[in-house]
Amino acid sequence: MQQYIIRRLILNVFVLFLVATMVFLSLRVDSSNVVAQRAAGCTEAETYDECVAIAKAELGLDKPILEQYGNYMTDLLQGDLGISWREKTPVLDEIKQRVLPSIELGVLQIMVALMVALPVGIISAIRQDSPIDYILRFFSIALLGIPVFVLAIFVIMISARYNIFADWLGPHGQYYDFWDPLGWTSAPTDPLQNVKIMLAPAVIGGLGTGAIIMRFLRSQMLEVLRQDYVRTAWSKGLRERVVITRHALKNALIPVLTLLGILLAGIVSGNVILENLYRIPGIGFYVTSAIAQAPDFPVVQGVVLVVALSLVFVNIAVDIAYGWLDPRIRYS
Amino acid sequence: MSVDEQAIGAVGAAAPEFALPEQKKWWRGVLKFIRHKPLGAIGFGIVIVMFGLTLGTPTGEVGVPSLPNSPLGFEMGSPWFERYGPENNFYNESGRLRQFENPSANHWLGTDRNGRDIWARIVNGARRSLYVGIWALVIATAFGTTIGVLSGYFGKWVDTTAQRFMDALQSFPPLIALILIITINPMTTGPNLTVAAFALGFVGIANVQRIVRGVVLATREQQYVEAARVIGASDRRTMVFYILPNIMASIIIVFSTGLGIVILAEAAVSFIVPDKLPQGPSWGLMLSDSYPVIVDHPWPGVSAAMSITLAVLGFNLAGDALRDVLDPRLRLG
Repeated sequence: MQQYIIRRLILNVFVLFLVATMVFLSLRVDSSNVVAQRAAGCTEAETYDECVAIAKAELGLDKPILEQYGNYMTDLLQGDLGISWREKTPVLDEIKQRVLPSIELGVLQIMVALMVALPVGIISAIRQDSPIDYILRFFSIALLGIPVFVLAIFVIMISARYNIFADWLGPHGQYYDFWDPLGWTSAPTDPLQNVKIMLAPAVIGGLGTGAIIMRFLRSQMLEVLRQDYVRTAWSKGLRERVVITRHALKNALIPVLTLLGILLAGIVSGNVILENLYRIPGIGFYVTSAIAQAPDFPVVQGVVLVVALSLVFVNIAVDIAYGWLDPRIRYS
Repeated sequence: MSVDEQAIGAVGAAAPEFALPEQKKWWRGVLKFIRHKPLGAIGFGIVIVMFGLTLGTPTGEVGVPSLPNSPLGFEMGSPWFERYGPENNFYNESGRLRQFENPSANHWLGTDRNGRDIWARIVNGARRSLYVGIWALVIATAFGTTIGVLSGYFGKWVDTTAQRFMDALQSFPPLIALILIITINPMTTGPNLTVAAFALGFVGIANVQRIVRGVVLATREQQYVEAARVIGASDRRTMVFYILPNIMASIIIVFSTGLGIVILAEAAVSFIVPDKLPQGPSWGLMLSDSYPVIVDHPWPGVSAAMSITLAVLGFNLAGDALRDVLDPRLRLG
């Protein structure tokens, strides 16, 4: 086990190195946009070419690419993600501030997803082909079909148009300024306000994820319920509750855990849009506003790396949990 | 009862044994599919309608500047069902722009901010979504299948190396990667739809190859593959003639399910960074255009949102039904 974890960690360091290199190279493919935008506002020089040269020097893009790469990597190893070009603030500090709303949103979504998916998936499996199963499956398919951001737009629109719980369902702050995240409150400062802001995006995102988990859990449960050990449990005269929760569910949940790890990347992506729609100042919001005009290289690099790092570690954690839950699995 | 029928009845006891089995009508199969997979049938219905919207007399120009004249390799002309040009501005008798009109017999879904017919823009948007979706999926499946087959077939260090690169690709949140590629756009000067399609395809490669690799790992152990090796088939021959045909079903399923995902992703990207994509009738752009006024004038935004939803739902349901029919064990998660 220990050996396995160490090997996974080493492999993942390599993966992270690849991610860092890929994002660095993909940004450097064409930096003319950024340079042109910065050069347009310069006043120190007379000709445009001089402006471009100054801009390049400011951004460090005048050095040979290998030197840029070397600097970038040494900075990374020292835990320095650089300084944002537009806002002139250290990217690491910005990310530290913005990572909490994102994590809160993600965790809330997974909680909502599991709270919906577990009971619904179980009921739908043990009452297979009954009317309630059809109804639940219909809802899950409908939820799968409606993209999260379309659902969010509908919710925002209907709540604002007919004034239904607009305070709870809509984004906070002015309606028109799409890119302005003012009006967000963290949980310690004002818990009620925080719940008001986070509840709608958490439920909307959670339902989308929950529908996927529910369908998967249902098929897993159906498979497990036909196993011999479940029949043995029934014939021992155990109560339904015990058979379902202890014997069936425990085994059906193991693959669901893997699915959750895979879904996580999707959750991060989906939250980029939800954070923008609900104006939550998370890292998704940060990176889209950093890309939207001309890419702010250090910000993009920093966010991509932080997201990759967290995905990698969550996946390792999932694998370790997998080994705990299922004693048959031996890592070697 | 007539005399003839009686006569047949009299001789006919043994007759059915010699009758040839009746040729099955093709629509019997369709009816059976509808009966057994009603949801899948709905999905296919939506997909057929969506393709139907794109039909046009294959002459002349597409009529939309952002699309090439032959988006799928042949000329398409303007769609039959558009009723009006997608860029026509409509004015009323006193010469004022018909902004944000509600649906009427003339404008089935109303008009938008610039007095343009929403239905025409939805129909042309379907073409754009399919163009982007199909090219993205062609790229994703072509590269994904190649990598997945090679990685799964050879195993060992080829597999380890390829999979680490794919892990790295998958650690990029797909939406951020997409926006990044589309914003940087190294290939052309202005916003370009083909670049968007390439970007969507590129982001999908890792997912496709993971599914394909899983299927190849199972197929590789089959006896017919072993038999091929015994009779001295080369690696290339084994892969192309023995493994590839047997994973075709999975690839078809991945393709149809993927189309829904890609259409959704294109809409999402158009919604977040509308100015980085070529302007023109597009569902995602319509949504982002009308989002700021959606509360007062819901028709443009809701039409676009419903189109996106229906398309995604259609491809999902169709893909699910295809999987049930072709390869029930395939795991897409």
